[in-house]
Amino acid sequence: MASDDRTDDHDPNMPDLGDAIDILTFSQILEMDDSEEDREFSKSIVYGFFEQAEETFGKMDSALESRDLDELYRLGHYLKGSSATVGLTKVKDSCEKIQRYGKRENVDGSAEPNEELCLSRIQSTLVSVKSEYADAEKTLKKFFDST
Amino acid sequence: MPEADLAGVAQGAGNNSSDFNEKFTKTILPKHFKHSNFASFVRQLNKYDFHKVRHNEENGQSPYGASAWEFKHPEFRADRKDNLDNIRRKAPAPRKAQNAEEQFSVQSQQVVVLSETLAATQQQVQQLQESYYEIINANKIFVDEILHLQKVVKAQHQVHNELISHLSKTEERRDNRQSNHTTPAYNAGQNLLSDGSEAPLELRRARDILNGLSIEHVADRDLNRMSVAFHQAGGSPESVGSSSMMGPPGAAGVTPFLHDPLSDMRHLVYPVGQNIGIDPFAPEHMPNIPYNRPGGDNGLPPTSDFSSTPSMAANTPPGLQGPSPWGSKKPVVLLVEDDRTCARIGSKFLSQHDCGVEVARDGLEAVNKVSGRQQPYDLIFMDIVMPQLDGVSATAMIRDMQPNTPIVAMTSNINQQDLEMYFQWGMRDVLAKPFTKEGMIGKLRKHLGSMMRNPPPEGLIDPMYANGGSAQPPTPGPYSNQGMGMAPLSATSSGPVTKFDTTPIQSPATSSSWHSPSQLPHPSPTLAQEHGGYLAAGSGSQMVLTPGGTQKPQYAGGMMPQMAQSQQRMPLDGPPEKRQRLYGPPGNYHQ
Repeated sequence: MASDDRTDDHDPNMPDLGDAIDILTFSQILEMDDSEEDREFSKSIVYGFFEQAEETFGKMDSALESRDLDELYRLGHYLKGSSATVGLTKVKDSCEKIQRYGKRENVDGSAEPNEELCLSRIQSTLVSVKSEYADAEKTLKKFFDST
Repeated sequence: MPEADLAGVAQGAGNNSSDFNEKFTKTILPKHFKHSNFASFVRQLNKYDFHKVRHNEENGQSPYGASAWEFKHPEFRADRKDNLDNIRRKAPAPRKAQNAEEQFSVQSQQVVVLSETLAATQQQVQQLQESYYEIINANKIFVDEILHLQKVVKAQHQVHNELISHLSKTEERRDNRQSNHTTPAYNAGQNLLSDGSEAPLELRRARDILNGLSIEHVADRDLNRMSVAFHQAGGSPESVGSSSMMGPPGAAGVTPFLHDPLSDMRHLVYPVGQNIGIDPFAPEHMPNIPYNRPGGDNGLPPTSDFSSTPSMAANTPPGLQGPSPWGSKKPVVLLVEDDRTCARIGSKFLSQHDCGVEVARDGLEAVNKVSGRQQPYDLIFMDIVMPQLDGVSATAMIRDMQPNTPIVAMTSNINQQDLEMYFQWGMRDVLAKPFTKEGMIGKLRKHLGSMMRNPPPEGLIDPMYANGGSAQPPTPGPYSNQGMGMAPLSATSSGPVTKFDTTPIQSPATSSSWHSPSQLPHPSPTLAQEHGGYLAAGSGSQMVLTPGGTQKPQYAGGMMPQMAQSQQRMPLDGPPEKRQRLYGPPGNYHQ
């Protein structure tokens, strides 16, 4: 498989990315680069994602403040998609949780009618997802700075 | 010679002027000059260039008396008979020339008047032309607006349906849970239903009302045709482009009220007017047309935002499969995705596979793009959860316009209910999110195999292996196989039923993979089981058609389902597939 070969090629770089980033997914984006020197495409994707994520976190904060579960559901879904596409597995998982809580569900998908509980779960998940994101961001920025 | 006699007579006239006058007029004039009137005789003299000699104080008295009329001619002398030849009636030439001049000026005046009239008429025609175009534009706006409103109504209709079914399902589940708490509650959703006890009756009533409404109106077809006609007049399709200037023979029959005036305007009527030589609906002028197409405000900027991405397609990276995987025509794919990151990566995947890519940021933009396009997109990737208009509603609308364009849902919400709904509303396939390059290309290969230069041979054996197998571990196999796409299609009866009589639905290997939970991306094992159950129940009726033992030979001899389908669709589809049919390797279509 081409992607496997690529992964092997990049092995020296990959360990830096740690477990915050799904290498298979991320290497697919790296593969799209026309040149491995400047990494124009992947860099713009990842930095674009940074903007998007920070924007979304801000929206999540205010949605949490106004106790808007529906909006939190939407935001969770939104960031879940992009973080998954970039390969930020942990961020993606947390976003999925936020999505579920916002939908008034438990993690396993069963209904959770207690909105207070959902909101407090989102609050704590939001804290952890931000730190997961910060880790990934640091790793990725380091990766792109070193290339 | 009369002149000589005249002079003599005049000289011989006596002093008694009154007597002489009478005598002269009555006797001399008729006798010598064939005149009976003194005045006319003087005029005659004048014509011969004899002019009366005027005597005033300085010149002194006339030798013949004060009342005598004395005439002189520059050449006339009493003793010079030889000079008489020089005395002749004045040539009429100068007078004639003056005549012609007058005539000419009259004519030129007429010309001026005529040309003024013509200019006025031309101006009128131009004004008529302008108001004609204004009316056309207004009409187009109206039609677009009506279509847009219809879409909105349809979407709301759908939303109502969704809500009702959701509510009734919630109701059922609530009942189930009350009776049996061990049942896993999948996708419970919001508790919109506060007074659950009365709901079913109301829901039923609401559904009846909705079902009673016939959304399909007779005028819709005409409206749609008008809209299409507008766009036909507007976009210049590669094939018709030049010939449309002459009035396309084919299209004129369909939309005579549009094409004939337009072509007449250009070729038959006065060659004046602001639009001459310019097709006001040509695509390059479209941005200048001073009206907004519905949704156009948010439609253009994001597209241009993304459009930088497809342009990168030119630099095909090394290591891809040859120059282009496609045949004579590259497919154009619409990627509907609200997430910037996903959209960019997705369009990069596609453009690197040498597809034309357009991106819409929400369902509404997607619908507008489809309706504004002359040739249907070859494939549409459709996100589900989007602002403004969700992917399912957009799909339903696009289905009305483009019944055959494959639409692939891109979503991470893969559970039984969702899938059921996607296919019910016209989706043909599902690409799990986060999508991978292989997953996406697999969908291309699967749905656009007929456009490829070298249609994948493995596709003839089983399309699933082309995309769902070992090539793409992160993408779930179950949803990318062909059977999944076919079963719900038949359920919605969007295609001829006979299709399924000859079409093997599933190979044993494929169906076994459906039940393999290891391939499901979903974390919940409950869902996987449900999924399997759904397949058994939902598509069971189709599976009956193909007993497991006879799978292999049927596949070898027959076509894969998708091929059968695409071939049946061809006559309905636009040029791209037709062309493909003409130039593509014929062997692939052999039964």
